[in-house]
Amino acid sequence: MTTKVTTVTRRNRHSGPRLGRADRSPLGTWFWEIDLVLLMLVTALISCGLIAVAAASPSAAVRYSGGNVHVAPLYYFWRQLIWLAMGIPVMFAVSMLPKDLARRLSIAGAAIFTLALALVPVIGVEVNGARRWIGAGGLQFQPSEFLKPLFVVTLAWLLSLRAQDRTLPVFPLTGLITGCIAAILMKQPDFGQTIIFGSMWLALLMLSGVPMRYMAWLGAAGVGAVIAAYFFYPVATARIDAFLHGGGDTYQTDMAHATITNGGLLGMGPGAGTMKFRLPEAHTDYIFSVIGEEFGLLACLAIALLYLFIVMRVFVKLLHEEDSFTLLAAAGLVTEFGLQAVINMAVNTQIAPSKGMTLPFISYGGSSMIALSIGFGLLLAFTRRNPFLTRSPYIVKWNTR
Amino acid sequence: MTAIVVRPERARQADRRQESIALSHVRLMMVLLLFVAAIGAISIRILCLWAFNRPSAAYDPSDALLPARGEIVDRNGVVMASTINAWSIGIHADRLLNPPEVLARQFARLMPEHSYEQYLKVLKSGRRFVYLRRRALPELVQQINAIGEPAIDYQREPERLYPQASLASHVLGWTDIDGKGASGMERVLQSRLIDPAQRGAPVTLSIDTRVQAAMESELSAAMAKFSAIGAAGVVLDVRTSEVLALTSLPSFNPNAPGHIPMPEPGQVTVRFNRATEGVYELGSTFKPFTVGMAMDSGIVTSFGQMYDCPKALHAGRFTITDTHPFGRRCSVAEIMKESSNIGTAQIAEQVGAQRQRAFLQRLGFLDRVQVELAERGRTLTPGNNWGQIATMTVGYGHGIAVTPLHLATGYATLFNGGIWRPATLFKIGPGHPLPAGHRVFTEQTSLKMRPLLRLVVLKGTGKKADAPGFRIGGKTGTAEKILNGRYTHGAVVTSFAGVFPMDDPRYVVIAMLDEPKATKDTYGFHTAGWNVAPVIQGVVRRIGPLLGVVPDESREVDLSQVLPYVREEGH
Repeated sequence: MTTKVTTVTRRNRHSGPRLGRADRSPLGTWFWEIDLVLLMLVTALISCGLIAVAAASPSAAVRYSGGNVHVAPLYYFWRQLIWLAMGIPVMFAVSMLPKDLARRLSIAGAAIFTLALALVPVIGVEVNGARRWIGAGGLQFQPSEFLKPLFVVTLAWLLSLRAQDRTLPVFPLTGLITGCIAAILMKQPDFGQTIIFGSMWLALLMLSGVPMRYMAWLGAAGVGAVIAAYFFYPVATARIDAFLHGGGDTYQTDMAHATITNGGLLGMGPGAGTMKFRLPEAHTDYIFSVIGEEFGLLACLAIALLYLFIVMRVFVKLLHEEDSFTLLAAAGLVTEFGLQAVINMAVNTQIAPSKGMTLPFISYGGSSMIALSIGFGLLLAFTRRNPFLTRSPYIVKWNTR
Repeated sequence: MTAIVVRPERARQADRRQESIALSHVRLMMVLLLFVAAIGAISIRILCLWAFNRPSAAYDPSDALLPARGEIVDRNGVVMASTINAWSIGIHADRLLNPPEVLARQFARLMPEHSYEQYLKVLKSGRRFVYLRRRALPELVQQINAIGEPAIDYQREPERLYPQASLASHVLGWTDIDGKGASGMERVLQSRLIDPAQRGAPVTLSIDTRVQAAMESELSAAMAKFSAIGAAGVVLDVRTSEVLALTSLPSFNPNAPGHIPMPEPGQVTVRFNRATEGVYELGSTFKPFTVGMAMDSGIVTSFGQMYDCPKALHAGRFTITDTHPFGRRCSVAEIMKESSNIGTAQIAEQVGAQRQRAFLQRLGFLDRVQVELAERGRTLTPGNNWGQIATMTVGYGHGIAVTPLHLATGYATLFNGGIWRPATLFKIGPGHPLPAGHRVFTEQTSLKMRPLLRLVVLKGTGKKADAPGFRIGGKTGTAEKILNGRYTHGAVVTSFAGVFPMDDPRYVVIAMLDEPKATKDTYGFHTAGWNVAPVIQGVVRRIGPLLGVVPDESREVDLSQVLPYVREEGH
């Protein structure tokens, strides 16, 4: 009797509603394990990004039109929609990977893309005076974009090995890898990405528990490196000089300032912006300024807070994570994501000197959208957890039942 | 029986792992705090951007549709100045693709204002950006574009267009290369024309382009015929002192302010506004003021009042003469008709220096002319030397130099019932109410002056000004110019102050020629009656019907107050 009852109950569970608690299909499991709050936050961000690209698209279209070339005003919006249609499934697929598989694929990917990055000087394409892209015709990609999340996961794995065996020389090893990648990036030249990779290494060292006195030394070395770059690396010299003394060509920053302040607190309304047409790279690097003009500084504030919430959500959730690799990988991925957003917003509000850096999930970007989707998919994969097995005391559950 | 023994190193490792995870959690909080600080800083900065960079007052989305600079229209809405989107051509000399020699040759061919060598110098300078041509025509842009040099840059920039070309150029002025009003009304209205709240509505001037065109065409014909070096003309509404036409010749084309010719040695530039900047001894056109003052002061009570008019009048070390000497006693009407200096000087002497000065002060003749323009000349007066002789000479318009516009407002005052109002270039109406003005002459004096000046045109020196049916009255004036401190007989300024229709005065017409020469037609005369009076006739004939004054030969001014006192002389 007892067995029979159990069977009946089981059958009932199987025939439960789709994505119900009883659904044991891979999708059902995924739905219960995924961090739904994080998923909602990133959905909100992507939606904002789509609207922002629609707002900035006419400006970029006008800039790239001329002569016989005519770019339709919403060209970049439709392109972005296509990239999203490819990126979102990638994100979902990656987020469904089991942690071990995700880690192994990331490490393999990191090796492949490091190789691609090393090949950029040989087979790369030159854009705007820098050689950062690989590929031909319509299909081009920037290996450094794809390498970023994979690099973070690889570093997290290497550093987590130390927790098992203290004798492993993981610090010098990771330092060597980061140094090699930085050297390749500086040759392109890509000052912004170099800073991101360096910062990620420092952040992961910090999270893995390297004593603070070493961190202080490394931090000082980082500042020293930036100063050295200022003196010996012409690209950095020009950028930093322009920022500090207002000299040189300040057209971009002047226009960005005029654009972001033009709309006031509430903005001029969608499509009513005028300054955006004078702004170079309105749809990529300076999209935050376009948001300021058309939707107001309150919208800028909301987007800045959205990024902060994403970072906070992941960090707070990790406070209950016991696995060293998961902790480092998830924290590293979200730090990379947040850092890029912070730098871009700082450039747009003229706190930091101009760098070629996009706003994650908001800026227009083709292959970089796929790279971001992979990164965020990995983040979702690493923050997945069985809600009944381990319950974080810090987090209110999605479903109060 | 199996003893479970935890290997000590395993236990230590587990401890260490716990420790390491705990440390990681602390570090997580630290990194999180860094993020909170960074986003906090960005948020504060965003709020600062809002607080300290307020967008320009009340943004209106239709702003984009407004012209960059407001239009200027005449009193009937005819556009006199507007702003269009023009092209400019520039070059980034630091990133040329073609050899500079090839480009310089093409530029010199298409834009011949500079030579091949000059273009070569610019192209080899390596400068980031140099303008090659501003205010370029679309055809030129197309031709330059066909060269196919990517370093050439074309920009749209607002350009001021004066569709009436040189018409009323001294009134409008022009804008400089940066679109800022440099002279004339463009300069006066600078802030009004670019004010976002007002620039959508045009500024309406008092000028009537039709009247202006008639005045300019008649004056320039006379100027050419008599080889004058310059001319000025004003048409003023008697009742409101609105300027319907104001011209100074030669004029210029404000569309190309950079191409205004340089003056010949010893002459003023064409930018000089003879009507408001140039001061001239306008001679006999002053006489009606003297008579008016005398009537107001009770000195002249009838046009039949007699004065002794010898062939020459000695006053101190001066000798006053007449072009048409009487050599007998004659009436006030005769003095005016034949423009007698001797007679007028005696009337002026009776009026006296103090009273004369006070009248001229109230007429605004001692100060710069009152009008919106900035280009206004300082008048020349006897100043502290205003003795008996000065009073006598000022009485017939010598020893005092004023602008033609002064004269126009003075005549308007004399014929509108005696109220002086400042001349204005704005159409009287909403926003520009009629100024109250102040009384200078009594209404009676004003009324009595009508037949006196009509007489001058009917029977006196101004016969050639008469246009049949328009009842023109007026006064001629011929004054010798002072060159190197001496009056010269050869160089004169002739002027005519006309008013029509004299039975109900509506408009003052002033015309002035600077240094007209005698011709065969004028039998060797270069006096106002011969050269500038016909201009008045021509102008009134053209503008009278436009302004609603119907020529009517059956109407005439009542001359019963003057005709009896004029002795017909047998010729």
